[in-house]
Amino acid sequence: MDEFLGSAASRVSASPDTLDRIQKVFGESIPVSAGDEDLPYELKLDQAASLDSIAVVEFMMAVEKEFGIAIEPEFIEFDFLRDFPALASYVERRMKGRPDSET
Amino acid sequence: MDLISQRAPASPPPAPSSDALPLLRVNDLLWFLYLYPLRTLSALDPRSLIHPIGRLAEPFVQFRSRKRREMVMRRMLSAQGAGITRDQAPRIARQFIANSTFRMLDDLVLGRPSVEGKLRCNGIEGLEHLEQGKSAGRGVIVLTAHFCAGRIAKRYLATIGYPMLSVRDQMPRGDWWGRLGRRILEARRTDLLHAVIGEAAYVQDPGSTLKILRRLRSGGLVNIHFDGQSGTGTMPWPFLGLERRFSTGIFDLVRLSGCAVVPMLCLGRSTAFRVIFGPLMDIVKAPGREAFIRDNLPTFVQTIEKQIRDHPGEWEQWTSF
Repeated sequence: MDEFLGSAASRVSASPDTLDRIQKVFGESIPVSAGDEDLPYELKLDQAASLDSIAVVEFMMAVEKEFGIAIEPEFIEFDFLRDFPALASYVERRMKGRPDSET
Repeated sequence: MDLISQRAPASPPPAPSSDALPLLRVNDLLWFLYLYPLRTLSALDPRSLIHPIGRLAEPFVQFRSRKRREMVMRRMLSAQGAGITRDQAPRIARQFIANSTFRMLDDLVLGRPSVEGKLRCNGIEGLEHLEQGKSAGRGVIVLTAHFCAGRIAKRYLATIGYPMLSVRDQMPRGDWWGRLGRRILEARRTDLLHAVIGEAAYVQDPGSTLKILRRLRSGGLVNIHFDGQSGTGTMPWPFLGLERRFSTGIFDLVRLSGCAVVPMLCLGRSTAFRVIFGPLMDIVKAPGREAFIRDNLPTFVQTIEKQIRDHPGEWEQWTSF
């Protein structure tokens, strides 16, 4: 996980399309209180986790569904999901590993 | 009507400030005896030293806990669904106090790094149900109520290849200390409890649900005490003839992970205990969060109600019921 978490490489490697799609999924799965719309991603996730930690699981599963991947158990960690660039880079790596992408 | 109420995870209630406490309480002395000399003895030979001491101390503990015992009796009688009569209540309440005492002594045994040969299991029934649940590869939630032998059973099961992640509340700060006890003994008690409980997911931790999911997706076991009242979502339901709020998080986990659920009952003490697994719970796959909870909660409640009705003296929650 360290290869993704907080590394400089992870911050530049994800494509804008992947980042947008995760943002969209995030907006659909994580409820945000009025007035908190401008909070950064990780603070919104913190808030959601403190109110209803199931919402974080639903977000993670929505990402899996959106990209047709399964997040490996060792990556199912709150700190990892909080790191938006790391998550996006990981998602792209997992998509490349899918059988239908090996053409 | 939306019966599921959401709340922030309850933090343990704040302990009184140190200034308001006396320097020393009788409890401090008892805890000192427990955490130092008794704990040291437990390292030598728990079976022949600790339990005889427990038997000797029991009359004193029963006397000192008489108010608690009376409260437990009142609660047993008010929970009419438990089926405890006025004649039975005093005996069961005494049993409850004795079991609580021996559970504390057993914690000293479990606090050791190795328990090899120190726990005497008289039998495990229904292990095939646990194996059946594991075989699907989506993990198993082991459903329990707060029974005195639960920690012993979990530790023993871990030694034979069935380690479980325990889901629990953060450890509360005790409100029984004097100033000396709080300064000197509380940290040692917390250390002991950490050693006893082992690997745990604390519901106040924002990453706890993911930690549980991670264990389930790895095909592992997660233990949830269904009679606990922690968690962010709860739903009221009749329980032993009274209304109690049940945490709904377990149903979300089952719905989202597709894991199996196997009930477990643990009875006895470290010197003689048994573990009984029930058949896999029949999960109703209702669409939507609320319907899923509503359709499955009654069966879960009935399962632990039956365990408590059959073994009321071993259930630990009479004091918080």
